[in-house]
Amino acid sequence: MAAAGGRTLGRSSFSRATSNPVTSSYGAAGVKIGPNGAAFVSSGIPDLDRILGGGFLLGSVVMIMEDADAPHHLLLLRCFMSQGVVHKQPLLFSGAMKEPRLFLGTLPAQVSSSKEDGRHRAMGAAASSDGRANDEGLRIAWQYKKYFGDDSRAEHKDNKQEFSNDFDLRKPLERHLLNGQNIECVSIQDADSLSGLQDCCSAFLSKLPRKDAGSLTAGRIAIQSLCAPQCRYFEKDWDMVSFIRSLKAMVRSSNSVAVITFPSTVLSNSFCKRWQHLADTLLSIKAIPDEDKDLAKLLTGYQDMVGFLHVHKVAQTNSQVPVILEASTLSLKLRKRRSLVLERLNQAPVDGSSGPSSAASSSCSSQGSQLDF
Amino acid sequence: MAEAVVRCLRDGRLDGEHAPALAVEGSLQCCPLAAGAMLHIAAAFASLVAAGKAQARGLVVVAFDRSPLVYLEFMRRRGLDTNALDRCVRILDCYSDPLGWKQKIQNQQHQGNSAKQFSTNKENITVYRSVKDVTKLMSSITELGGGFEGEGKKYFSVAVDSISSMLRHASVPSISGLLTNLRSHEQVSSIFWMIHSDLHEPKVPRAFECLSTMVACVEPALVDPVCGESPGNLSVLEQNYSKAKFIVRLKRRNGRVKHLYEDLYIEGNDIKFDSAPSVSIEVNQSLVPKAQFNLELSEKERSDRANVVLPFEHQGNGEPIRIYDGRRSLPEAQHDLSLTAPALVDEIKAPKSGTAKGEIHYFRDSDDEQPDSDEDPDDDLDI
Repeated sequence: MAAAGGRTLGRSSFSRATSNPVTSSYGAAGVKIGPNGAAFVSSGIPDLDRILGGGFLLGSVVMIMEDADAPHHLLLLRCFMSQGVVHKQPLLFSGAMKEPRLFLGTLPAQVSSSKEDGRHRAMGAAASSDGRANDEGLRIAWQYKKYFGDDSRAEHKDNKQEFSNDFDLRKPLERHLLNGQNIECVSIQDADSLSGLQDCCSAFLSKLPRKDAGSLTAGRIAIQSLCAPQCRYFEKDWDMVSFIRSLKAMVRSSNSVAVITFPSTVLSNSFCKRWQHLADTLLSIKAIPDEDKDLAKLLTGYQDMVGFLHVHKVAQTNSQVPVILEASTLSLKLRKRRSLVLERLNQAPVDGSSGPSSAASSSCSSQGSQLDF
Repeated sequence: MAEAVVRCLRDGRLDGEHAPALAVEGSLQCCPLAAGAMLHIAAAFASLVAAGKAQARGLVVVAFDRSPLVYLEFMRRRGLDTNALDRCVRILDCYSDPLGWKQKIQNQQHQGNSAKQFSTNKENITVYRSVKDVTKLMSSITELGGGFEGEGKKYFSVAVDSISSMLRHASVPSISGLLTNLRSHEQVSSIFWMIHSDLHEPKVPRAFECLSTMVACVEPALVDPVCGESPGNLSVLEQNYSKAKFIVRLKRRNGRVKHLYEDLYIEGNDIKFDSAPSVSIEVNQSLVPKAQFNLELSEKERSDRANVVLPFEHQGNGEPIRIYDGRRSLPEAQHDLSLTAPALVDEIKAPKSGTAKGEIHYFRDSDDEQPDSDEDPDDDLDI
């Protein structure tokens, strides 16, 4: 079955009946309704949203395994938090630092839409409208229509742009957006135990109950370096696991997403496995060696890469169909040194001359529909 | 000579960022060499400070493993005179009396005599007696660091030798907290420490690696394949006590990791470094599980593809059909289309006037054949 760019994620012939299947695709600001009664919020990185099948699932816990050598988990966390600020969603941030408020100063601002971005978007829209024109030319049996991804792509183009924004990592977020916002910051460095953080989280989440309508405000929790060695509760392994379990239970029954980053090398192997098992969505960052000739020969675009992102697990709700990804390792690149881009790894041509990598920002999206096999 | 590392320490911190931190990791098999590496780095750094080339004005050495005199002697042998040492190096002596026992015994023996006979307070050695109290240690270090003279901003660097000994008295979180606080302290220019990886649970040296921006591992030159611990093979032991590999991982700001390889060996009383011969670095296959072939076309390739004339009769541009028969004869106006159609799958014909880039070249096998004859070559067979 021809699917535009791997959109068979999570599709089954059973779907929970929602009241208005098409018009309420976008509920509250920044929340997208998906199949099987799932609601998504954007991760702040459009490529990651696409790869995960819509974004971060509301009610799930996303865990990111940090790499000791590379600080890229901070990039992911910053984009996630900025997206929440832009959509005016309540945010709770906690970090292993003395002054978490200072971290808010490093959040990136949205990319100012320039001519080139407009062109990219136009290219994307043109491709999708071509696809739709082809659809009308062919007569497709009605039951296959549901495999054709977001039909509402062209109609709700404006909404889609709002759901997920590109962030310019070189520009800080405007102050006024941060000031008028419901942002809480908690420091966990000097805390003897995690009960303080647990109380903060439960107070925060009790204001965001989940109802079936799915159109209430969504909240975000971001916790940075939960098991950092300088935290005083560092050696209380079981306490940390209990905290994550209770957070997971609280988040599951509320309308929010929690993103937790942790340095996995710092935990013992058995506890690292427990933490990974507790995650609904599990990502990990891997650093790449600099000036490695073998890797340069193996991959195209090696010079622009700053790291690898592995997707180990993707959350799925109300469905027995697991999410199977086409590629679980992606490369992190900074497009024009400012916005984060995820690309599939491409093997370099064997004759040694490095092949030209795709000019468009996302490798599988706009041109992908024309190269379907 | 471990230059990259010393250079990073010398350059110190940039505004608004934490100080660079180096973690030197040794193991039991090459223990003296690891200690030597630490001494070397401290001495090299101290000479840079004395010459005024470093951001820091002085170096504070927190000595747990060795007597402070060892450091001073080593530095003296490296060319630093007493003056420079007094000016630029302070040693916090946690080796002589870490828990204050000797002083307690002294005080008991000489009751009433309140003179602290134990404090051999030379100019630059301060005895520290309560290693369990990490907060007090922090304030002692910063106090010593603030005491350097010089113009400009008051920066100083810290060397901790070694964390393994500190971990006997204090917990991992408290020491990590100390290192983090030192890194973020506005007067600390750089910091480096030593830890013996095999003396602790594996997660402990990894925890300290997390806090660092550079990791230097001193690894044994030869690993005894049979058993690393029992002294079965003396020659391996001897080798490992005189030579070791010095592997540095520099974490760059863009998130990529630079690997440097050197050999270190003991020569007489001194430690020397050697740039390593070609090191075979295998491509880490686990890093790249699935790399696709890039099936996308670039702009140039796309336009080239558009220029290629396809071997169909209809080029779609309204020109009369010209079929090249491989013999450079003048193009006939019309050929039998029925003849050419089935043969097209095998023969690729190119236009005589090919466009600049998009050409398909076809060379006929032999020119003897009549063009486009529909003879079945098997007709020759007499069956």
